[in-house]
Amino acid sequence: MKPIIPDQFKERYGKLVDDQDAFFSSLLQQLPKSFRINPLKASPKTIEKRFKDYGIVLKQVPWYSDAFVSKNYAIGNTLENFLGYIYIQELTSMLPPLILKTELQNAEFVLDGCAAPGSKTTQLAAFMENRGTIIANDINYNRIRALKFNIEKTGTLNAIITNLDLRFFPKREGGFDVILVDVPCSSEGTIRKNPTMLLKWLNQKKRIPGYANLQQQFIVKAFDLLKPGGCLVYSTCTIAPEENEGVVNWLLERRPAKLDQINIPEMKLTPGILEWNGEEYNPEIRKTSRIWPHHNDTDGFFLAKVRK
Amino acid sequence: MITKCSPQDQSLVLDYFKERFGIERHLFKDFSFYGASKGRIFLGPKSLIDKPKPVTAGILIARISRFIKPTTNFFQLYGKFVKKNSVSLTRENATRFIRGEDLELSADKTSNASDGYVLVTYLDFPLGCSLLKGNRVKNMIPRPKLLDLEFL
Repeated sequence: MKPIIPDQFKERYGKLVDDQDAFFSSLLQQLPKSFRINPLKASPKTIEKRFKDYGIVLKQVPWYSDAFVSKNYAIGNTLENFLGYIYIQELTSMLPPLILKTELQNAEFVLDGCAAPGSKTTQLAAFMENRGTIIANDINYNRIRALKFNIEKTGTLNAIITNLDLRFFPKREGGFDVILVDVPCSSEGTIRKNPTMLLKWLNQKKRIPGYANLQQQFIVKAFDLLKPGGCLVYSTCTIAPEENEGVVNWLLERRPAKLDQINIPEMKLTPGILEWNGEEYNPEIRKTSRIWPHHNDTDGFFLAKVRK
Repeated sequence: MITKCSPQDQSLVLDYFKERFGIERHLFKDFSFYGASKGRIFLGPKSLIDKPKPVTAGILIARISRFIKPTTNFFQLYGKFVKKNSVSLTRENATRFIRGEDLELSADKTSNASDGYVLVTYLDFPLGCSLLKGNRVKNMIPRPKLLDLEFL
């Protein structure tokens, strides 16, 4: 059955995009399969050659040289996947570690607050070249099994796993250099991967205020755990402003946080919005980034880079 | 819960890696060893945090019981440093091995390895750990890792 985009969805989000037709039609198109090379174990040249020999056509992602897309859905059945030389991951999921690349070079202590299943943790480790310490934390003990599996598969030696609600995470003396909070959200941005999301969207929409409440607590807590000068990335895979700009605005109203402008060469980013449902946000919010599915052939995503 | 590995256990594992596989000690100098229940030994970061207590650190590299048993994940990372006691597979056997099958190899394929735990390779790729007994290779790849590969 072909998924249908609910009218309420169109009404709610149509006004936020530059090209409604392109946006709505992009939601009904299947995402290409994507992966990144794991530099802890392999090099791009070797992988490209092996895939060429397999007859699998790869396209390098213009904004991240370690990332590739393919129309061949069998890339999971390669020796390189078995060995952890590649990591199959949505393109937007690669963005939070990518915009922290510079900060990660000399980071000693990094906290990944909602880490399972470990896609971003293992990418953080790759940028850190297995140096320093990553605390990969997740509240859900069952999901920690997947986190552990992926840490081991990718040869991530600098991560430790903790199992705690981020809101109760104890302060570390000296604070953390870098924190990533890829929070639980209404996941509206993942419609292309999971079209059934459209069928349950009206119910999911009702959960947005609950998610936003939790996210507000997470972002403030994460900020408090940072060391002065440290960097925090807040990200979601939803389109809902309440869970994106609204949450960052909540932080700016309560803590002396600054936002960094996000720049990813070769990727089209859209500034965060400054008004939603009659609520006006701090003008700094324009430094946050929305990633619309029709701009870069990806999922929908949101990023904020916060400095203490 | 993990704790710092005792110096005795750490030496036991490092001596075994060196003697059985020729893996040099200095390759681990940037990391620390941790221990957990059931003789599990982890290789992880030098520094931990005090609170909360970690569930695991780094990757599980070996289990100490009557024998020392290296893990497949350890070999997939450090297999390139193995100098002895490895068994090389053909493409067909590598496919079967990654699918989870035990293998019976010809004598010439196992002549460079003695009975015990061995590294299994295909071309230059370290596939994992197995137990060699005579010409029989017992599969030790953890079940969640098994794949039916199309491309190798």
